[in-house]
Amino acid sequence: MYAALLANRYLTTRLIPLIAVGAVALCVALVVIVVSVMTGFLDVLRASGRTLVGDVSVTSGIGGIPYYAELVTAIEALPEAEAATPLIDTLGLLRMPYPEGKQKEISPVQVWGIEPASFARVTRFSESLYWQPPRDEAAREAMLPDDPRLKIDASLFANGLALQQSSTGRSGMVLGMHVSAANKRTHDGSYRQLYGWFMPAETVTLTVVPVSASGRISEPKDRSFPIVNEMMSGVFEVDKSRVFIPLSDAQSMLRMDNAPMYDTSAAPDASGSFPLIGVAPARATRILVRAAEGIDPNTLRDAVEVVYQTFCEGITKDPARLAAPPQRPSILTWEQQLRDLIGPVEKEREMMRVLFSIIYIVCAGLILSIFWAIVIEKTRDIGVLRSVGASRAGIMWIFLRYGLVIGTLGSLAGVGLAWLVVRNINAIHEAIGRDAPTASWVGALALAAACLIPLLSSARRAKLLPILLWLLSAMTLAIIGTGLLLHKGTLIWDPAVYYFPRVPDEVDWNTAWLTLSFGILFSVLGAAIPAAKAADTDPVEALRYG
Amino acid sequence: MVEQQPIIEARDIHKTYRDGQVAVSVLGGANLALKHGEWLAILGHSGSGKSTLLHILGGLDRPDDGAGAVRYRGEVLSFARTASLDQYRNKRVGFVFQFYHLLPELNALENALLPAMVGKSKLEWFTGMRSERQRASTLLESFGLGHRLHHRPSQLSGGEKQRVAIARALMNEPEVLLADEPTGNLDAATGDGILGVLAQRHKAGLTIAMVTHDASVAARADRVVRLVDGRVMEQ
Ligand SMILES: Nc1ncnc2c1ncn2[C@@H]1O[C@H](COP(=O)(O)OP(=O)(O)O)[C@@H](O)[C@H]1O
Ligand SMILES: [Mg+2]
Repeated sequence: MYAALLANRYLTTRLIPLIAVGAVALCVALVVIVVSVMTGFLDVLRASGRTLVGDVSVTSGIGGIPYYAELVTAIEALPEAEAATPLIDTLGLLRMPYPEGKQKEISPVQVWGIEPASFARVTRFSESLYWQPPRDEAAREAMLPDDPRLKIDASLFANGLALQQSSTGRSGMVLGMHVSAANKRTHDGSYRQLYGWFMPAETVTLTVVPVSASGRISEPKDRSFPIVNEMMSGVFEVDKSRVFIPLSDAQSMLRMDNAPMYDTSAAPDASGSFPLIGVAPARATRILVRAAEGIDPNTLRDAVEVVYQTFCEGITKDPARLAAPPQRPSILTWEQQLRDLIGPVEKEREMMRVLFSIIYIVCAGLILSIFWAIVIEKTRDIGVLRSVGASRAGIMWIFLRYGLVIGTLGSLAGVGLAWLVVRNINAIHEAIGRDAPTASWVGALALAAACLIPLLSSARRAKLLPILLWLLSAMTLAIIGTGLLLHKGTLIWDPAVYYFPRVPDEVDWNTAWLTLSFGILFSVLGAAIPAAKAADTDPVEALRYG
Repeated sequence: MVEQQPIIEARDIHKTYRDGQVAVSVLGGANLALKHGEWLAILGHSGSGKSTLLHILGGLDRPDDGAGAVRYRGEVLSFARTASLDQYRNKRVGFVFQFYHLLPELNALENALLPAMVGKSKLEWFTGMRSERQRASTLLESFGLGHRLHHRPSQLSGGEKQRVAIARALMNEPEVLLADEPTGNLDAATGDGILGVLAQRHKAGLTIAMVTHDASVAARADRVVRLVDGRVMEQ
């Protein structure tokens, strides 16, 4: 009982332990904020990864999968699968509409030929189309008045979804949001177009190189496409390089469409052509599959694997078929595919956790040194307590409890602080992105000047501590004021560096509770050494000399 | 009123301090019997080992290994068992020191309550808190400190501090008060007041062993012994 009373009194009658509380709070907050943002980032990465590739994908080599439509039908018949879609994945060069003049910019792009309708069923293609009118009144309210989305043509969205320019009936292209260098992000995450280069009003030329299954390169093919919309997945790597065109265009450009096959070993007929054997089937290089509600991607992958084997055997055995699907395509879940992207970030997060465990040791060391001083100061009182019958364990408990209180208060305050910062991180980011308001730096500088008055008066009284404290306050405020004055809005979270367009603002509660527990644990550990010293204090010596 | 049976008895106590190679013998076979209900003064000049003896009687210090024994009501105090020594200090004896030794963070009432808090489990403390607080305030009031209950030691005079210290020593109603120069830090008049408080308690049945180097203070006791060369001499 006395332990609680004394621990509380030691806490409330001096200032230094409050510094320990503050230090523990800052340490805990730092860990929780950083790990929360990284966890949020990982979640975004995962979510957008899934958005982009569905749950499971079947990927063949460059030759593609013939008769893919049958495979898609077979997969869609699986109870584990919700939908499946074929696509062609290749590289290309895009001739951009800018700059003015003859010389245009050429961008390397990753081309996805898709069937827009089924693709939208497997991925979140329709949500990721950027040029669409605000979904509801709240979304409209949230947009800045000059947001171009408030004035766009309603047909843009439909065109994007269909990959077709409705006015002309031409096949259209959807660009990743960062493919066009003219798209500039603003503070609220929306985009403005530099020099009026509004992509959905432009036409681009795509060049691809057909490669035969044996790896032989044919003549490059180019085709011009009107841009019908732009797309933002949230993963910068994707948004800066991916473009979508209809699957049929990709097939014909890459010579992967249905083609008549002639027997070149036979004698040509009168007109000089070889006899027709049949039609070589069109091909796709990937099939994306979306899992049915509640189905684990791994379960789906196993099921798809079985379906693929049956499909492959069926085709191979059938003599009427002119092409065989690859024996071993890679069938992976979205998570396996994104390993390269997610893995390093996960490692970084673990490294952060490890690095930050040093912070716990700093906490423990801080508490140790503060408590050590208190124990030495309190030696006599420890003797007194022993003289009225307090046990060694009881003495130890005073200081352990004291550490527990400091650790608990500090850690709770730290989690609270982290919660405040993380919840408002986008507002903070946005504020940093703007120039500091005049009032803020004028205020800071005025406060700095105001500090000079008590500084001068304490200088007259020749008291060193207040002089130092006021001087430090004045200097700190002056530095803050100058910093604010010089601060020009900058986007810290440049999407080119951080993949995500919005800073994640969810506290990772698992980490928060874990950090809280560790904060408390290490505070108690830090207190344990001085507490043991206190327990070992010889009461007679303590009373005689303490 | 003084019974003949000793309440605390020390037999052949040896205590040697070792300072590196040098061994200083402070007590060399001290014998002392503190009789039930008596007020005993232990007189001796500074450094003669008075405090050491008192600490050993109170179970705060221990004699050299195997050199001497302390009995409380005929039972040998086991210096090896710290838990029973803690109990002994908490319940059977109360210490008063020359420099009061109050805890600066606690007010007078809380200082007086300290032994009650130490000796009780949380549950016992919370169920008995009211009556304990009542008893502590009564005790302090009887020492003329009714208006000082919530004052910190730093706000009290020397005499007031020593009264709080006596109240603390008596809180758990021990049979024996062990006072180490209780007036040593006070002026004559204030010291007299403290001795008056002790006398009043002694009259009510408290056994007191008081250490002093001042013969006039010792004169207030029933019996005076002298500590010379580490041994107790009857006066
Ligand atoms: N820890 C110690 N180490 C060495 N000498 C000590 C120690 N404690 C006490 N002494 C010595 O023992 C002697 C007796 O001390 P003490 O009992 O305080 O005497 P008194 O109370 O009669 O003045 C003194 O000479 C003192 O210096
Ligand atoms: Mg002494």
